[in-house]
Amino acid sequence: MVFASLEHILTHISFSVVSILISIHLITLLFVKEIIGLSDSSKKGMIITFFCITGLLVTRWVFSGHLPFSDLYESLIFLSWTFSIFYMVPYFKKSKNYYLNTIITPSVIFTQGFATSGLLTKMHESLILVPALQSHWLMMHVSMMILGYATLLCGSLLSVAILVITFQELIQIIGKSKNFYFLNESFSFAEIKYMNMTDKNNVLQKTSFLSYRNYYRSQFLQQLDRWGYRTISLGFIFLTIGIISGAVWANEAWGSYWNWDPKETWAFITWTIFAIYLHTRKNKKLEDLNSSIVASIGFLIIWVCYLGINLLGIGLHSYGSFTPN
Amino acid sequence: MKALSLSAINSSNPCLPKTHLLKVPIFHPFFKFKPFSYSHSALHGHGAKRAHTFPFTISCKLESSQDKKNKGKSVSQKIGGLSGVANMLRRKTLQILSNLLLAIGEMFAVASLMALVLALLGASLMACTYTTQLPLIKVSRRWSFLHSAEAIRKQEFSESLPRPSIQDVSTILMGAGYEVFLKGPSLYAFQGLAGRLAPVGVHIALLLIMAGGTLSACGSFRGSVTVPQGLNFVVYDVLAPSGFLSSPTDAFNTEIHVNKFYMDYYESGEVSQFHTDLSLRNMDGKETDWSISALQILKDNEGPYNLAMAPLQINGDKQLFGTYLPAGDINSPDVKGISMLARDLQSIVLYDKEGKFAGVTWPNSKLPINIDGSEIVIVDAIGSSGLDLKTDPGVPVVYAGFGALMITTCISYLSHSQIWALQDGTAVFIGVKTNRAKMEFPEEMNRLLDKVPEIVESSLPKQADSISG
Repeated sequence: MVFASLEHILTHISFSVVSILISIHLITLLFVKEIIGLSDSSKKGMIITFFCITGLLVTRWVFSGHLPFSDLYESLIFLSWTFSIFYMVPYFKKSKNYYLNTIITPSVIFTQGFATSGLLTKMHESLILVPALQSHWLMMHVSMMILGYATLLCGSLLSVAILVITFQELIQIIGKSKNFYFLNESFSFAEIKYMNMTDKNNVLQKTSFLSYRNYYRSQFLQQLDRWGYRTISLGFIFLTIGIISGAVWANEAWGSYWNWDPKETWAFITWTIFAIYLHTRKNKKLEDLNSSIVASIGFLIIWVCYLGINLLGIGLHSYGSFTPN
Repeated sequence: MKALSLSAINSSNPCLPKTHLLKVPIFHPFFKFKPFSYSHSALHGHGAKRAHTFPFTISCKLESSQDKKNKGKSVSQKIGGLSGVANMLRRKTLQILSNLLLAIGEMFAVASLMALVLALLGASLMACTYTTQLPLIKVSRRWSFLHSAEAIRKQEFSESLPRPSIQDVSTILMGAGYEVFLKGPSLYAFQGLAGRLAPVGVHIALLLIMAGGTLSACGSFRGSVTVPQGLNFVVYDVLAPSGFLSSPTDAFNTEIHVNKFYMDYYESGEVSQFHTDLSLRNMDGKETDWSISALQILKDNEGPYNLAMAPLQINGDKQLFGTYLPAGDINSPDVKGISMLARDLQSIVLYDKEGKFAGVTWPNSKLPINIDGSEIVIVDAIGSSGLDLKTDPGVPVVYAGFGALMITTCISYLSHSQIWALQDGTAVFIGVKTNRAKMEFPEEMNRLLDKVPEIVESSLPKQADSISG
């Protein structure tokens, strides 16, 4: 009972702090102002959230006697903890990474909110590990898979942001081109800019036609794209190690390293989707927009692989299913 | 005793008929076999949730039946001495026919679907390596000096330094870990070439995994058997080939003896883990599941008797086994007796003739339970261990592919960076290019080039820094 109360306290503290952080991030985004006080409060709040989730996991580990990976509830709490780690790493490096921060904080709140919702109430009790799960491969396989999922989800969200901004930009271009025919003075003014920009920078020849705002937008898109590429590359490594350690464990526990279980099949599909993404990055013609579309598809595939299969509760990986045995 | 021979795959009766529990069991004393002189190896297996049709024994002879996944094949067990030569010849003939039928079915399955998909993936991997990766490697390995400032400015990032010496630039880059080549006024440096080569390794690793998977599908043996504690079986009778390349070895003649089967429990009484102690030679086995084979009891200090236990169907993953000891006149139409239920090996629940609860006892307990005027003592609960046997020649190849894939995927994260420099009069033009970390690299280059010393001569005018790109 003491552990259950401690879990409740830690869960509510981290949930409340993350809710406050959501409000802070929305304020900074809407008002487009770099308020230093709010930024510091946001960072301190995220640190509090990180340590609360860490305390929650350690408490559950001590209480149950095994790593907190035995069911979906503990797995989701660990996933939100992994998202928090991605917030802490750039914080200690003191590198400005506002894009990832804006994406990570909602990810923590959605993951933990879903875990603590009423849908998974039956899973809150800590279970005894079934004999098949008692292996030293549990730490390797499950932690690498969840690290991979969290990293790939962050990278995919960056690509989704690229798509949103690009389509928004296309709408604006169409709107302004209609006004363009009716204003001759704007034409001459834009032409002067066009001639000035040609000498300095050929890369921005297309976007500089409209205004200086598009220069910063293009820089913003480039940074989102490169951060997404690096994040997905890192997540792809984690996912590969997770799938391979799972295959070795399956060969030891179930007699074959690949059983074409639904969970295994969807993990392989996820791996293939992000392999396609990495290959589209190699082709210059497909680099900007098509790779973001592939990463957005990968975002949906991860949730199918992580949650969708558990809804069915079939196959050899039925430990994390919604229906208790 | 007569050993049951191996039946064909398409036998008309895939499952043996189960003996009716109400028949009078023949009570034979339990014979304990001497352990073999092979080296003991305790195998601590890990159970998985699998459905099994569990066997039961009436006497010392054991009959078992497998579910449909094993194509309804019945497995014979040898107890005591060797089987006859006629039985051996008949078994080998049926084995050859089984291999032939399995090979035809397996070949059809592989050729129809899996081989096609694997061939497509392998061709795609090799095409990607040939058309994209190898040309990139050739370009990366060429020490291409650039001889004009215009060509240097066309790189991803370019910078010009006023009045440095190109030897100083070379020294700074070597200190930062670059491989530097200097030729007159031209300089070329690179770092992290492995990051360019590793994607080829990723594709080779994937080809290894697929080759190993194909080898596993065509050349392995698999089999399942449930053996009561104290009995043994021959490996040859259990394993079945899975492909046309499967060839048995001398190790298949090994006899495996189940010395002891026991379970660990949590404090709450749930099963923690189960273990099987085997005596075997040159064979690797794995435990899959367990059941209870027989109860050894004393009745009014007579016996001991072996009562066969049968699995009962209940919901969920829990297992329940039961047996029945008739009492009174066995020829009357209304036969009654004592029922015994067990969930695991540590507690037995007993019921009397009227079906009322009579008591709980455990094996090795010396205290008798008085039921309907009879004293019942549970001497032992004999467990059966479910074993999976497998030989797979593809596993070393697949594991090599796994290791190579993990290593090359991590190496692919490294950046391959290239730097060109040209001394043009008193200025040095520098162009840089990288394939991965395109955002951090300009800052790194700026920090490096800030260390380059500047030759100060009062007679020459200073030139301003210009950064473009």
